[in-house]
Amino acid sequence: MTAETETEAQGLTVRVESFVGPLDLLLHLCRTSEVDLANLPIRTITEQYLAHLESVQFQDLDTAGAFMVMAATLIYLKSKLLLPIDPEAPPDTLDEEGELLRQELAERLREYARVKELGAWLGEREAEQALLYGRTVGELPPPEDVPLEDLSVHLLHRAITRLIEEQRRQAPRQIEPNPLSVLERMGEVIELLRHTWSILFSSVAGQERIRAEWIVTLLALLELVRLGQARAHQAELFGEIVIESASATDTASAVPRSDDPTLGETAHD
Amino acid sequence: MTEPIDVVEALLFASEAPVEAERIQEVLDLPSAGEARELVRVLGERLDGQGRALQIIEVGGGFRLVTRPEVAPWLVKLARSRTRSRLSRSSLETLAIIAYRQPASRPDIDAVRGVNSEAVLDNLLDRRMVRIAGRKDSPGRPFLYETTRDFLVAFGLRDLADLPKAEGDLVIPEPPVDAAGAAGSGEGGESSPATDAAQQDPGSGGAGVTPRG
Repeated sequence: MTAETETEAQGLTVRVESFVGPLDLLLHLCRTSEVDLANLPIRTITEQYLAHLESVQFQDLDTAGAFMVMAATLIYLKSKLLLPIDPEAPPDTLDEEGELLRQELAERLREYARVKELGAWLGEREAEQALLYGRTVGELPPPEDVPLEDLSVHLLHRAITRLIEEQRRQAPRQIEPNPLSVLERMGEVIELLRHTWSILFSSVAGQERIRAEWIVTLLALLELVRLGQARAHQAELFGEIVIESASATDTASAVPRSDDPTLGETAHD
Repeated sequence: MTEPIDVVEALLFASEAPVEAERIQEVLDLPSAGEARELVRVLGERLDGQGRALQIIEVGGGFRLVTRPEVAPWLVKLARSRTRSRLSRSSLETLAIIAYRQPASRPDIDAVRGVNSEAVLDNLLDRRMVRIAGRKDSPGRPFLYETTRDFLVAFGLRDLADLPKAEGDLVIPEPPVDAAGAAGSGEGGESSPATDAAQQDPGSGGAGVTPRG
């Protein structure tokens, strides 16, 4: 059983030809159906192109987009064929604009065919040269003056980007503690106010001045003030905020120590 | 006694970049670059005649001492690796456009290829096959690219004139220009009868490419 599946797996290696662009695909279709590029048969080519489009594997969105643009152009041209301008004209006649578009497409295909051929030629050269081994790193000491001929802005940009990335990787990352919820912070303030008559905002929010913590504390305080659970006052701009218990019924703090709260408060200022 | 020809051999052996005839002339205090060339030619013949594993090739405007292709399999074995990484078809096409247009901008290249060539260009820049030659005076002032000496070396070209002659200039497909291409020859890779037939079609627009070697 194993041998059988193995041979089957080996026998089924299908190599699907990949196209590097819409022109590549179109050119392939023209060649396999022996079509004269000078009068591109829009009808058949469009159908074949769309059929092939489904089997094309897209590397990225850009490439996919390029294939779609070509599909749209072909469909546009084909739609023009469906509306003959002149009933006496032979079939497959396009109007002026369509004809221009077809000419342009044919021209692009011809041009691409040349580039493809040149690319293939270069590929052959590269394959030949890959068999020759010479020095890639010199044995000689470096020259006193660095030749600047082969440098470019691009290389400079690459170098600085690499450096920045390197630094970023080395820098210690700051791990933020889970910020408290406003509700939790409100509970904490109430808990504190149960034992003392007044507290300082900074002692609740933390001396480290972590922004998130200060914001949460401020929101908690404002909420408590709104609910009438606490009072807050600030003697001067950017000065310390003093939080006081607002509940008159809070006998634990307000009534027995009615003599010292003002003292405590002024001592803080 | 050390003969000048032995010095030339040493220069080529020790240098990583192709050594120009002018450089050999300068180092050896020769009266002309022509004499330097002659020395290289004689050295090359000597290597060929002795059946040595090394040969001299002329690339990128200079001379290099490299191994012969026949010994490549052993070198690959020595390196314990596969053959060198080769450029993709997209890269080769892009290089072809740049090589023939010198310089070409990315919009030019995209127009001919019909796809976005940004990633391909980045790769070619990294491999030093092309470099930025400046900016084009057109909307967006895109970068212009040209091929480098490394390109010539990688493809074994003495200079850009070594590229196969293309029929006319490479056209950027905006205005439809008449460009009757000659019959194509030697399309790489494909060998189905239908393809071959299409290639003989005079309308298929070949560039008259005759691969060397």
